[in-house]
Amino acid sequence: MNKGFLIAILAGLMPLQVLAGEYDISVDRVQIDTGDFVKEGIGYNGASPGPVLRFKEGEKVTINVTNNLDEMTSIHWHGLILPFEQDGVPGISFPGIKPGETFTYKFPIVQNGTYWFHSHSGFQEPNGAYGAIVIEPEGREPFRYDREYVVQLTDKHPHSGDRIMRNLKMSADYYNRQQQTVGDFFSESAEKGFMATLMDRMMWGDMRMMKADIEDVQGFTGLMNGKGPEQNWTGLFKPGERVRLRFINSSAMTYFDIRIPGLEMTVVQADGNNVQPVNVDEFRIGVAETYDVIVHIKDEEAYTIFAESMGRSGYARGTLAPEEGMTAEVPELREAPLLTMADMAGHMDHGDMKHDDMNGDNMAGMDHSDMGGNDEMDHSAMGHGSMDHGDDASLPEDPFYAKGSGLVPTASNGGKFLSYSDLKAQKPLYEDREPTREIELRLTGNMERYEWSINGIKYEDADPIVLQYGERVRFKFVNETMMTHPMHLHGMWSILEVGEGKWNPLKHVISVAPATTVYMETEVDAPGEWAFHCHLSYHAASGMFRKIVVEGGPDSTVAEGKQSGKQGGES
Amino acid sequence: MNPILKIAVLPAMILALSSGAHAAGNHAGGHHGGNVIGEPGNAGNVSRTVEVTMHDNYYEPESIHVQPGETIRFKVKNEGALVHEFNIGTADMHEAHQEEMQMMVEHGVLKGDHIDHDMMNMDMGNGHSMKHDDPNSVLMEPGDSREIIWKFTKATDLEFACNVPGHYQAGMYGDIKIDSTVAAKDRVEGESDSESVQ
Ligand SMILES: [Cu+2]
Ligand SMILES: [Cu+2]
Repeated sequence: MNKGFLIAILAGLMPLQVLAGEYDISVDRVQIDTGDFVKEGIGYNGASPGPVLRFKEGEKVTINVTNNLDEMTSIHWHGLILPFEQDGVPGISFPGIKPGETFTYKFPIVQNGTYWFHSHSGFQEPNGAYGAIVIEPEGREPFRYDREYVVQLTDKHPHSGDRIMRNLKMSADYYNRQQQTVGDFFSESAEKGFMATLMDRMMWGDMRMMKADIEDVQGFTGLMNGKGPEQNWTGLFKPGERVRLRFINSSAMTYFDIRIPGLEMTVVQADGNNVQPVNVDEFRIGVAETYDVIVHIKDEEAYTIFAESMGRSGYARGTLAPEEGMTAEVPELREAPLLTMADMAGHMDHGDMKHDDMNGDNMAGMDHSDMGGNDEMDHSAMGHGSMDHGDDASLPEDPFYAKGSGLVPTASNGGKFLSYSDLKAQKPLYEDREPTREIELRLTGNMERYEWSINGIKYEDADPIVLQYGERVRFKFVNETMMTHPMHLHGMWSILEVGEGKWNPLKHVISVAPATTVYMETEVDAPGEWAFHCHLSYHAASGMFRKIVVEGGPDSTVAEGKQSGKQGGES
Repeated sequence: MNPILKIAVLPAMILALSSGAHAAGNHAGGHHGGNVIGEPGNAGNVSRTVEVTMHDNYYEPESIHVQPGETIRFKVKNEGALVHEFNIGTADMHEAHQEEMQMMVEHGVLKGDHIDHDMMNMDMGNGHSMKHDDPNSVLMEPGDSREIIWKFTKATDLEFACNVPGHYQAGMYGDIKIDSTVAAKDRVEGESDSESVQ
């Protein structure tokens, strides 16, 4: 078939008024000034963060990405549904973009909402290679607001990604500054009793984990739209307005707890998909997640947007103000939470401990499949009933944290903190149906060697997960580590099981807290090869990563993808 | 969210709910006297019908002009997949009512896409129930159609709103502009349902 003929056919097939936008992005070396330090990094169009790309649902986009680095690069369109050759993962979707070359991405925009993009090569993303995507819907938004802002967060570290990875490999607690002291030991003994505290410490010591190790990598400066706390990113408003804030967590490693003291926030979207609105005082945003909130600001006052890291080692800060230069009080960081025995329960049972007789096979009697729904794990069934954990009535509860977990967040004003169980789809995308099968993915790790894995096997040693086009797969995440992992499936939606049937929300990142079991279902409707990984940069890089192969599917889809992605395709 | 609500005990909730808009009314000085938001109207005095469609989560239209003293028949239809309310009141009244609706959610009476009618109508003693039956509002499941005949009195800042938790904040409200200065000539009885926002 000659080229002219093909174009003629395509022209004939396409409606006359197809929206088409062309965008140019250069990948550049940039300076990143956090206010605390200035750092060489990588950005887009000369800056980090890169531009906010504004697309319209139904548009066919052409994006020319020019690599001005002296190393390979790539751009992954995080959360976008597109042909797999356009997904931008080197080694899976395409070979990558060589220095000096321009790669042209072409795909239709089939969704709307808040998303982002970032490099999927090496540690370019933690080094600054990220930007935001805002997609306007075809019809009207089911909201009313007067103005909107992207609020993109990151955890900028003075060390380069490569150096951080090396240091973590050398010593997993290299960046953990909140190790407990002897003083802590005695004050804890006074509260809990000497033996209990000693036992507790011995167990933690045995695992070479620090109890305060909620964040692998501390010592960062939190940035909001590229500005450090002192540089104070400011969004303007007029009193009486409703403002939509599109929060994106582009951090390498850091979860943030976000609040705007004095304002209630209404969460209307999670990971680009509208949710039934929930009024909250505070919410936690996992790495790579997005949340859109609407705030109604009545008074002519400034308000601080305060994003405190989950481990309370740092924060990002910005301001909503009626005029430039106005500020509001910046809260103090709250006390760091401590992991409890409940948070390490999964690790105790399956992990890399000295329980030689407790290998995976012997645990087969422990049937996870009857644990049901989204619920917390049943610790009494886990064979360590003698360990006291989880019955402290003073601890808040959330089904997405282990019972008795030290990580359960609470709102600083005593009000409502968003839970995954509050998220319900505004408009279900798929019919609810029984999954065709279940795949168990144990999230595993070896802290000592800083190796992260799935089912005990790291990426380079693992076979791909093979799915069949048209099936609905139920993924069961069992977190056997003491860290929270934001699991990201490319190319297809992750339907988070919150026990609401067809109203279960669609996400692209599912955060799995320590010692919990979380389920998600996926309608396998995208042929090709996809990445599936923990979105913590240094976990993904050290092995918590899988390739997904979707077999079968309509030929036409594959053909179209091949045609537009002529430079890529192999894996 | 008001944290005090969390510890509200059940009897308090029933009282609050059974009094419905009355509880809210005290913010605006009470409305059943007909002096602030108007009062239930008589079918015989209806000057025109305004059709309001409820979607997830917004109204069509989002703005209505009325004249003081006008009695309007609102034909309200829920074309969404979620439960919605059509409630005439001031912003303060809506805010107070949202706290009551939040309790309905917390007690399982109000689900996203349906209402637990048995629970709502249950007699909780002393003649109280969680019924949602004030004349200035209708709470509707997907597919429902209902009517409200309402007589507007003097000029004030009114909104029609859905107080299902989160919906109002997300933008499910419309403005009622009581406009005594506009000449009656641009009013077409029974037809001019809404006016485009200029
Ligand atoms: Cu990503
Ligand atoms: Cu991880």
